[in-house]
Amino acid sequence: MDNIGLATGEIFLLCAICVILIGDLFVSENRRQMSYLLSQLTLVITLILTWVVAPETGSATAFGGSFVMDPMSKLCKSWILVVSIGVFLYSRDYINARRIMNGEYYTLALSGVLGMMIMVSSSTMLTLYLGLELLSLSLYALVALNRTDEKSSEAAMKYFVLGALASGALLYGISMIYGATGSLHFDVIAAKLGEDSSSTAAVFGLAFVVVGIAFKFGAAPFHMWVPDVYEGAPTSVTLYISSAPKIAAFAISMRFLVDGLETAHASWQGMLIILSVLSIVIGNVIALAQVSIKRMLAYSTISHVGFILMGILAGNDQGYSASMFYAITYALTSMGAFGILLAMGRAGVEINLLTDLRGLFRRNPVYAAVMMVLLVSMAGVPPTVGFYAKLAVLNAVVQADLVWLAVLAVVFSVVGAFYYLRVIKYMFFDEPAETQPVDSSLDVQVGLTINGAAMILFGVFPGLIMAACVAAFAG
Amino acid sequence: MDFKLFVFWVFSLVLVGAAVGVITTRNPVQAALFLVLAFFNSAIIWMLMEAEFLAITLVLVYVGAVMVLFLFVVMMLDINTLPAREGFTRYLPVGALVVGAIIVQMVFLIRVRWFSADDYPVPTPRGADYSNTEELGRAMYTDYLFQFEVAAVILLVAIIAAIALTMRRRPETKYQRPAEQINVKKEDRLRVVSMDSES
Amino acid sequence: MKLLYILTPLAPLCGAIAAGFFGKKLGRVNSHRVTIGGVGIAFLFSLIALFANLSGDGSVFDETIYTWMISGGITFEVGFLVDRLTVVMMTVVTSVSLMVHIYTIGYMHDDPGYQRFFSYISLFTFAMLMLVMANNFMQLFFGWEAVGLVSYLLIGFWYKKPTAIFANLKAFLVNRVGDFGFLLGIAAVLMYTGTLNYGETFAAAPELVGQTMELFPGTAWSVLTVTCICLFIGAMGKSAQIPLHVWLPDSMEGPTPISALIHAATMVTAGIFMVARMSPLFELSETALSFVLIIGSLTALLMGLVGIVQNDIKRVVAYSTLSQLGYMTVALGASAYSAAIFHLMTHAFFKALLFLAAGSVIIGMHHEQDIRKMGGLKKYMPITYWTSLIGTLALIGFPGFSGFFSKDAIIEAVHGSHITGSGFAYICVLLGVFITAFYSFRMFFLVFHGKERFDEHTREHLHESPKVVTVPLILLAIPSVILGGFTIGAMLFGDYFGNAIYVAEQHDVLAELGSHYHGALNFVLHGLQTPPFYLAAAGTLSAGVIYLYKPEIAEWFYKKFGFVHRLLDNKYGFDDFNQKVFAGGSLRIADKLWSVGDVKLIDGLMVNGTANSIGLFSQFARKLQSGYLYHYAFAMIIGLLAMLFIFIFTT
Repeated sequence: MDNIGLATGEIFLLCAICVILIGDLFVSENRRQMSYLLSQLTLVITLILTWVVAPETGSATAFGGSFVMDPMSKLCKSWILVVSIGVFLYSRDYINARRIMNGEYYTLALSGVLGMMIMVSSSTMLTLYLGLELLSLSLYALVALNRTDEKSSEAAMKYFVLGALASGALLYGISMIYGATGSLHFDVIAAKLGEDSSSTAAVFGLAFVVVGIAFKFGAAPFHMWVPDVYEGAPTSVTLYISSAPKIAAFAISMRFLVDGLETAHASWQGMLIILSVLSIVIGNVIALAQVSIKRMLAYSTISHVGFILMGILAGNDQGYSASMFYAITYALTSMGAFGILLAMGRAGVEINLLTDLRGLFRRNPVYAAVMMVLLVSMAGVPPTVGFYAKLAVLNAVVQADLVWLAVLAVVFSVVGAFYYLRVIKYMFFDEPAETQPVDSSLDVQVGLTINGAAMILFGVFPGLIMAACVAAFAG
Repeated sequence: MDFKLFVFWVFSLVLVGAAVGVITTRNPVQAALFLVLAFFNSAIIWMLMEAEFLAITLVLVYVGAVMVLFLFVVMMLDINTLPAREGFTRYLPVGALVVGAIIVQMVFLIRVRWFSADDYPVPTPRGADYSNTEELGRAMYTDYLFQFEVAAVILLVAIIAAIALTMRRRPETKYQRPAEQINVKKEDRLRVVSMDSES
Repeated sequence: MKLLYILTPLAPLCGAIAAGFFGKKLGRVNSHRVTIGGVGIAFLFSLIALFANLSGDGSVFDETIYTWMISGGITFEVGFLVDRLTVVMMTVVTSVSLMVHIYTIGYMHDDPGYQRFFSYISLFTFAMLMLVMANNFMQLFFGWEAVGLVSYLLIGFWYKKPTAIFANLKAFLVNRVGDFGFLLGIAAVLMYTGTLNYGETFAAAPELVGQTMELFPGTAWSVLTVTCICLFIGAMGKSAQIPLHVWLPDSMEGPTPISALIHAATMVTAGIFMVARMSPLFELSETALSFVLIIGSLTALLMGLVGIVQNDIKRVVAYSTLSQLGYMTVALGASAYSAAIFHLMTHAFFKALLFLAAGSVIIGMHHEQDIRKMGGLKKYMPITYWTSLIGTLALIGFPGFSGFFSKDAIIEAVHGSHITGSGFAYICVLLGVFITAFYSFRMFFLVFHGKERFDEHTREHLHESPKVVTVPLILLAIPSVILGGFTIGAMLFGDYFGNAIYVAEQHDVLAELGSHYHGALNFVLHGLQTPPFYLAAAGTLSAGVIYLYKPEIAEWFYKKFGFVHRLLDNKYGFDDFNQKVFAGGSLRIADKLWSVGDVKLIDGLMVNGTANSIGLFSQFARKLQSGYLYHYAFAMIIGLLAMLFIFIFTT
């Protein structure tokens, strides 16, 4: 039981999940606010614990080397928790209004957070896989949570079957790597591959691993589930899927590809180039033809994933930190965008079509402004954070002598800017279909405003996040 | 070719054949039985590799419990399986082509040299007093404690998810609420209306 | 101290944000309270910084506050450099700004854009402080553009007035020309020194002496000269030097407090400040100094001449500002940087005073700005009269007033300079003294003395302006009188600026002057015996004679030398030339480019063509997303196939 204290955050979170699960049974229907407050409290305490136990510098392991706490995991976990706090805040009123199983939503979402934290902290392939399954299982259930909705069930079914396929591929890849190196630990694998170049080739399980990771990211051509799930799932769940798991997916890519298989960089670079090019092209182009805002954002997610992968494939510290910065800030952006949809759709109306955003400016100018900042940030226009994130990634790609890739990414970002601008046009220049103002509780308003302001704040002062990202890979 | 290798080949072939059977047969009961066969064969292959505990657990848990339950469900539901098969022959050529390509690639990669038997020496056989179960238990509760716990959490989440998704209060079902029945007042049931008499 | 320096620009920014975004909620009174509070804090802190710097050992604060980003080895950061040059500028900016804030309460009393106006001027104060406190070129450029933006917004403050819109567009465009040069200069600095930080740039500058670059193939240009001239072009735009001066007179369309704050006292002097700050660069290139000197002297002389024929009270003051900016530029060219800053400081106070006094007159006259329709206002507006007199005397350089010290120092410095063009410059500035006195008193006499040329209705309402207007006038009048005499010794001949300003030994004219300097009083006595004094006296007298007693002289001159008058009235044709050649020509070219290049090539072929084909592709690709599970799974398998192929080919 060495260093078990390092996992205090995870252990506390697990205990809290059990408490909330049981406590939820004993509170009456109309006092369900309890679960919400407990969940938020749990996340905050977990955040604090994570910070307290994390080593000042360098990394430390626990559980016989299965669990690692290094600057990257500390940073990723912190942001996953912060984003989850926002997600819960924005989801609360939506869930209350629709009476979608309240307690279960929070327990499942929290166990998803636990899964993400385990993924981020994993230093063996087995832990990583288990964390991933924990997250996936929670997500499958969350997508299906609104049982009366057919679309929701269909989406969950698709997600589950395809997810099983991807998990199978991942597991197959893991078994191959294990077979070739005889270890589950990333550091041992890396050492083994480093000393013995003939077994470099033996890691052809890599291709399967990349498939698994790409699926979890939602990168093309493993993206097919993304639009259907985004559209079918309750918006609160879409919000959850689109934000924090991207950070976790980034972390497992780093664990697998960099911590474990960095010597096979030449191989996975080629694969990631294909994935990222396809994602950026498909994401941006198909988004143009969408009429549903949720599907449009789904395709936009795919294109952003392309950028995250691009930073990783650059294969240098600069690229890794840029990619991390991108993942974190994208999680924040996406959270805000779906948060606005949630805030708008409360009164029994579901926001699904692009045209539902018409005239938002007349109905709530603050939300319209926040949404505009978020979209502009997604489009990558200065001075928002999206611009700096793209710039950092492209810079890293150029450093890696892949100028053509950077040019292509820029060209398709310009294509992408169009559909974001279209939404802005709907919000500001079109007449609203209904004139009733959009309103929501004060804490949500404050949260969304901060969310929007953060886009500009981090855009003007990217160092606030970037410094930590750079430090995480400076070793 | 010694006896062990002979056994391996026989059971492996049956295993692959059974697996193909699972996905090609039209009758779900047959498919389930093929799966049982596949489990048996893999149990024997594990046995050959001296993993007795796992082999027995596989038979006990999967064959004895899971598949029996599965067969019950299939038989009770009496699913009409024909429509689900309609696209099968239509997409078979394309599917076969892709699967063939992947098999060729994998064979190409694996066969060439990297997974040859020379790289993987035969493990030394253990003595008769070596307890597979004990070793497994030791590994699970010491080296792999963390993973073990996480797996337990996954099961917990699976239970929560299963209950959340299946337990439902149907709106059309009528319940008795004794407390309300007892507490009912006459004003709830009876409305006294004063009306002008119609002359 | 660091915190203090950070708070100094932030206080007005907070005021600006409060008044700008929450102005409606705060209401008028609270808006001006909060902005005046912000600027007041900045003023207080500037004073603290000034005294700390005076009493301290002259140590310089030069620190990076925040690193914005590092790209390709170049750092972009926000940092402050606070030395003695900076504290002078900070004090001038915040004190004038504070006066203008207070004055605005009265001047803008009935304007519907009251809160907006306060927000803008506070924002301006913030931007100007960022500009003067910068320790690197990027922040300098940020401040430079930010003050330009606020100036643009304020000139067009009355956005329903077409002339105001025209004027702000003009200011914006002309400044763009200057900024382009400035940006080129910064780029040259970055290219040849590899850094944007002042200290590092100045340290690297001596190595650039003798280096050349090829602007056109086969020609060699000194790197330093090109850099300095590019930077100076930026200064020409901001500080309105010929030929980029055309926007400043038109900027008088903005409200008068703005004319005082931005277009007289602070923003237009940013160029002067910048050149003084860059003295270690300019000192290394004599060609650039000569260029500066000649441009400055031309501006000083020619713009003063135009001032004589103007009839709009604010425009007269505007042309006098141009001419005074010319004086400062001349001082820069003669390497008398301290004298330029000294004149900048004294000018800021007396010119702000003159503008605010003009504003006071304008309020009294119900927004009548034509001096031909005024006259004899002395008895109606005594405070305005006396403060204007002080301002005018300071402007013409009457011995003992603060303008006298700074202007005389500049003239003496030019006299002592030996670089190319200094002889020409000396003649220009001497003539300028006469002209300054002439047009200043022309205006003064026409406004305050002589016959009353306004109608009965105006007379009934004519009275002295309210306290919020007159108090700033009085407060500004005090430094206009005494500031020069008190500070000349330290600023010009003492070692006040220390290392903030660098002057090469062979250019150091002020040191030469300093050897003859024996106290402010002696300087005044000496001033009484030099040509500038007689020229100023002659200018005043002739203005008095012509405009008070013998108007027929003006008539006669007008008849005989009509062409001169026309030339001046047309401002040497700069405006017409710009209007016809640049504006008209570029319109025609743009029209052609638009019809051929844009509509046919870009719109038709590239943009719409691309958009259409992408639209088609996206409609097609969308069909792949069929919704069938097995299609999805199949796509994944194909993807796996591709990954395996890549693996095979890369190993």
